[in-house]
Amino acid sequence: MSGGCTPEVARDEPGAQVAMLGNVAIVRGALEAGVQYFACYPGTPSSEVGDTFAAISDGLGIKFEYSVNEKIALEMAFGASLSGARSMCSMKHLGLNYAGDPASTIPYVGVEGGMVIVSAGDPSAITSPNEQDQRHFSNFLFYPIFDPATVPDALAMTRFAFGLSEQARLPVIMRPTTRVCHTSSVVELGPLATSRNEIAFNRDPARYTPMPANARRMRKEITQRYQKAAELLADSPFFNRYGSGSRGIVASGVGYAYTRQIVEDLGLEESVSLLQIGAYPIPEGTLNDFLTSVDSVMVVEELTPFLEERVMVSAFKLGRSIPFTGKHSGDFPVEFEYGPDMVEDVVRSYLDMSARAKIDIPQPALPMRPPVLCPGCPHRSSFYLVRKAFGKKTVYTNDIGCYTLGYGPPLECCDTVLSMGSSISEAAAIAQTTGKRTVAFLGDSTFFHSGLPALANLVVNDANVTVVVLNNHVTAMTGFQPSVAAAADDSEENGLSILQAVKGLGVQHVFEVDPRDEEASLAALKQAKAASGMNVVISSAPCVVYDKRKRGGEKRAPLVIDQDLCNQCALCVLVLGCPAIEVNDGRYEIVADLCDGCELCAYVCNQGAIAGGGE
Amino acid sequence: MTTSEKPGWRIIFAGTGGQGVVTAARILTEFFSKRGNQVVSGQLHGMAQRGGSVQASVMIDCGISPVIPAGAADCVVGFEPVETVRALPFMSKNTTVFMNTTPVVPYVLSQQAARGKGNGQYPSQESLEQYILAVTPKLLTFDATELARGTGMVKTLNVVMVGCLFGSGILPVLPEEFLETVMKTVPSKLADSNERAFQCGVEHGRKLCKEERTS
Repeated sequence: MSGGCTPEVARDEPGAQVAMLGNVAIVRGALEAGVQYFACYPGTPSSEVGDTFAAISDGLGIKFEYSVNEKIALEMAFGASLSGARSMCSMKHLGLNYAGDPASTIPYVGVEGGMVIVSAGDPSAITSPNEQDQRHFSNFLFYPIFDPATVPDALAMTRFAFGLSEQARLPVIMRPTTRVCHTSSVVELGPLATSRNEIAFNRDPARYTPMPANARRMRKEITQRYQKAAELLADSPFFNRYGSGSRGIVASGVGYAYTRQIVEDLGLEESVSLLQIGAYPIPEGTLNDFLTSVDSVMVVEELTPFLEERVMVSAFKLGRSIPFTGKHSGDFPVEFEYGPDMVEDVVRSYLDMSARAKIDIPQPALPMRPPVLCPGCPHRSSFYLVRKAFGKKTVYTNDIGCYTLGYGPPLECCDTVLSMGSSISEAAAIAQTTGKRTVAFLGDSTFFHSGLPALANLVVNDANVTVVVLNNHVTAMTGFQPSVAAAADDSEENGLSILQAVKGLGVQHVFEVDPRDEEASLAALKQAKAASGMNVVISSAPCVVYDKRKRGGEKRAPLVIDQDLCNQCALCVLVLGCPAIEVNDGRYEIVADLCDGCELCAYVCNQGAIAGGGE
Repeated sequence: MTTSEKPGWRIIFAGTGGQGVVTAARILTEFFSKRGNQVVSGQLHGMAQRGGSVQASVMIDCGISPVIPAGAADCVVGFEPVETVRALPFMSKNTTVFMNTTPVVPYVLSQQAARGKGNGQYPSQESLEQYILAVTPKLLTFDATELARGTGMVKTLNVVMVGCLFGSGILPVLPEEFLETVMKTVPSKLADSNERAFQCGVEHGRKLCKEERTS
């Protein structure tokens, strides 16, 4: 999806109609608001926000960084705000949890330059280990939150958010979900900002230090600032009303886009009044006016009944005893993404209309096509060799990255995954409790993100753990952002050294291997297995996809299976799971278009039937 | 003209990671937005970079909703046989379906075959066609991968498929207009292969739709 980044985002042509990805529209909104500082850690579905800034920041005089993790990205953006800069950081929903410590206290201190946190949500856990409703940050930690329904919303709300943040002195969260982040649509460009905030850090320790006595004072201020945010939102264009009927519908996020479309397509403008809730806290007057004008309410929102319960409280306070259709009534689920069909069904039922014409589509049993490590991926070599050295009975904890695809047969190198860096802590505790050597896998970017403190803990508290750092020099899963283990010029030598970091923490036994050198790697892994206490294996080889791009798409020559030598033992397929090897009517064949020429299958084949390829 | 009851044009691209499905949707989106149409497009599901199933949608002048409702696609452009069938929920009797007949065999099938578990067989082309014909008669099959290979660069598969869509006459635009606007943006060393691929797709789209009308 990195194709979403286009220079169009910085075009100085107000009024132009341009198609852009939701994540890119967020960047455009920030440019129109005069953003001066940006930091992020990539995470789907937020990554294109950072990728876009990476491509344009230099030319626009914006300070940009890929931070080592989300907590640091948030703190960097806050520090920049204290210096007066309009600042932004971006991350996925889980990233904001990781940054939860500073996130909890920033509203207390308050901001100077406007500060916007993009925290992209992933209903249905499409590319995440969970789904969660970040709107709860609004009343939980006192953040104004924007909940865009469309790509144009994402632009307009981001542009507005910086001013709101400055005036209410609160950080603001922009919460697009996957359907906004990864949807492209036409937006109208506004003027790019012509002025920038003046930069100065004005010393005022009592203002910036939330030690308990100050924190209690700040707590009272927050209530006022949060109220101020609600007043500013009351004058914003993000609480659209559409239709003039007596049946009320309140909708938030992408649920509004579905509902609006259905009302238009079915011509329901005279039956329903539809109110978009584009931001929280909801201005009380907006909701009260709406509730007094309708005789029933339907609420459309994904995930928790967050909005529904706000509306119920408002109705109760108004003494309006009107029927509700939503999650509490059982009409909408509390899990997963909604879609246009589900929303249409509930709208029809709510308005006592005939049911949607059902199309009887057969559901054929098709072979599944789960994602898989690419042909030539060095992680496949590492997994194969580690399993060969450590065997079936060893527990393998895994982590967040492409290498999670070591899950399941045939690689079977993923018994657990939890969160960034957790492979090391989990392995340590499993080794301590079971008494058996445990292997932890994590990548280079994850290592620096939060593997370091877990490794320090392991050094201090020791356990029979072998930590295998899969160093492919890039943050591959989220779109090939540079890892701190590589430098700006992509040469590993100039990046942070994993070896030096590990040694600096006092690890006694460190093995450096190249998984493309199978014999040497295997010898080192066997030593790691036989040792006592903790040790670290750094398995380094470049990501083949990224490497191929750098080489201008040139790929290595594909391998061929000699059918005269192949005895159909199936070993290559059984242990590697490479998508380039197909079984067609009992014949084992390599698909030349897919094969990367890594030669791992040639190493595995004990008939010497696979050859060719090479540099 | 649009084939469904609602105004606008709704296109689904279906294929596997690496076939250029998302890129095809993006090129179409940029083209129509530059023409002044309202376009909403997106990747519906899938991890485009790791060989999984990928579906992308492009909706032209349809409104603000980001997702195509069930049975509402005017056209399904299938880059791969099984993936074409996976898009069945978007089809109705009015949907035109293009299906590339060259499979990309899911690695799970090779796993099944090697382990002797499951049937390990890629479904027959005939059985896949039957699933679609049970919903719509407008199924048009051709070997787009072979056509792409013929241009000298098999990576042009997505351009062949987009050409086919324009050749079909389903969209309110002549292929020549797309060719002129879009091919300007292609790096020059790829321009020849891409133009050949597009023209090739257009010819097949036209031919297939003509055969379908006369049959």
